[in-house]
Amino acid sequence: MRRRKLLMGLDGEYMVIGIKDLAKLFAITIVSCCAVFVCSLFLNYNIDVADIKNAITTEQGLVMYDALVASGKVTAGVSGGCLVITTIIMLIFYIKNYIDSHGKELGILKALGWSRLNIAKHFWIFGMSVFAGTLLGYIGAMAYMPIFYEMQNAEELFPQLSPQLHFGLAILLILLPTLFFMLLSVAYAYLKMKNPVLHLLKEVQRVKVKSSKCENEDLPFLADLRKSTVRSRKIVVFFVSFSAFCFSAMTQMSMSMKDLASESFAWMIISIGLILAFMTLLMSLTSVIKANTKTIAMMKVFGYSQKECSHSILNGYRPISYIGFAVGTIYQYVLLRIMVDIVFANLSDMPEYNFDYKALIVSLVAFVLSYELILYCYSKKIGRQSVKSIMLE
Amino acid sequence: MIELKEISKFYGKGGSRFQVLKNLNLKIEDGDFVVILGASGSGKSTLLNVMSGLERPENGQVIYDGADITELSDDKLTAFRKHNIGFIFQQYYLLPNMNVIKNVRMGADLAENKEFEAVIEAVGLKDKRKKYPSELSGGEQQRVSVARALAKKPNVLFLDEPTGALDEETGRQVLDYVCKLQKQYGFTIVMVTHNLNIAEMARTVIKMNSGKISEIYTNETQKTAYGIGW
Repeated sequence: MRRRKLLMGLDGEYMVIGIKDLAKLFAITIVSCCAVFVCSLFLNYNIDVADIKNAITTEQGLVMYDALVASGKVTAGVSGGCLVITTIIMLIFYIKNYIDSHGKELGILKALGWSRLNIAKHFWIFGMSVFAGTLLGYIGAMAYMPIFYEMQNAEELFPQLSPQLHFGLAILLILLPTLFFMLLSVAYAYLKMKNPVLHLLKEVQRVKVKSSKCENEDLPFLADLRKSTVRSRKIVVFFVSFSAFCFSAMTQMSMSMKDLASESFAWMIISIGLILAFMTLLMSLTSVIKANTKTIAMMKVFGYSQKECSHSILNGYRPISYIGFAVGTIYQYVLLRIMVDIVFANLSDMPEYNFDYKALIVSLVAFVLSYELILYCYSKKIGRQSVKSIMLE
Repeated sequence: MIELKEISKFYGKGGSRFQVLKNLNLKIEDGDFVVILGASGSGKSTLLNVMSGLERPENGQVIYDGADITELSDDKLTAFRKHNIGFIFQQYYLLPNMNVIKNVRMGADLAENKEFEAVIEAVGLKDKRKKYPSELSGGEQQRVSVARALAKKPNVLFLDEPTGALDEETGRQVLDYVCKLQKQYGFTIVMVTHNLNIAEMARTVIKMNSGKISEIYTNETQKTAYGIGW
């Protein structure tokens, strides 16, 4: 009983993980919300439209039916799958960061005799961010569904449908992911907690020592720091490139889609893309700065300017983001090409689709402006960071 | 020369505001070896931070060769540290993803010092120049931080409890390196410690108590790191 009180009193009133820590999981909530929103729309539609297949009498209607079902499966599979993988990576990233930055508290608990499992099981709460996201996504999809159903049958090739509630789908998209992510949180925390007590107490972070063969000793310190900052956190590399990928693919796709689908559909795509892109980028850059607090403070102590500090910490991610943007451009072109040439190939009034250079330029300019503005803001944040952050230890 | 005039420093706000440094006046000659002694909470580390330009005092002046650094903007203060100051902390604060050479280059590049390998050799780490901090002992890590600080060719070297995390033998070794290098390069040393024995190595000893300087004295003979008790 006494030990339980200690456990509860450390980081919040009644739990190891405090409310502030949970608030940081907002990005996971957003991503899972987007995933469930997209999947609910398309899967619900596919279930409902299957009931009226026999009522479709025209050949054009059947072609449209097959195309819609196929595109629904592809969209739900690709976007849902990608977003689930992103959520998994984000969740692991957050738990790792949490354990790294709360090593002392967790180390004390371990030192007092709490078992790994006893501590790790409290991490189920991280899965609640997924529950909030999936629930919001499902409710949002339900609200948007009447408009979506009308859009899907804009040409009135088959009877109008009204959305039906499918509890099986709700369980599949809300409860199962929540359970999965709760278990994943506990399992990952359990694995991470295997570090010895002293390592946790001293917040020792494992550094992979790489072979000296690949090192360039003539490289100046700042250039080397830029490289090592990127190399040391590969997960951030993924998130930064994913962010640029989302921005590029979704904005260009939505602009091209105005001719291929409805404007409302294009707005949905661009909204999801921008939310994902900005959330992921902000989360990544915040974690980069947090992980380099001591380095930045030491650089300032030694006399490196704010510009030198921010360039060496943040600039390494710039080429990665532009690569992500280029991949996103190719991805959206290939996806729309497949949709037009294969999935909707048999539709008679399908408009011609060519690579949209105007969309590329608009998207690129918007990306460069917003990305550079965000980097500028983070550079200012680095400037405001106090050198006392290392002296207070 | 470093001159402190009427330095006051406060921490906290409102009712919990308290004065850490109380109208301190002090002069330190170039090339001196100064030890600031005092119990925990006496204000010695705060004095070191104010003196080195890491913190600004509420009142008073910190004058380096006639120039008051408390008047400088943040950017100019950073530039001042770049050209004049070296630091060694109790917790080495090495960059974990970089080997010894790269950590030392952190200081060397600021002074465009191409001879940084000589400093690594001087602290006895020639054979470990490609090792990472996690592969080094505590004493070796502190020697890297000594090399890093000296590679930027500072005029003044500030040390905050440099042996606090080291055992006796390693502590003596690190202090010995610092003293030898001071004779070689001629910089000023200002060291904060609570270890009375280390004060015997200094030329000038400043004792602090409750934010005030209680005593300043000069040692006629300076002992070596191996000649003092521990």
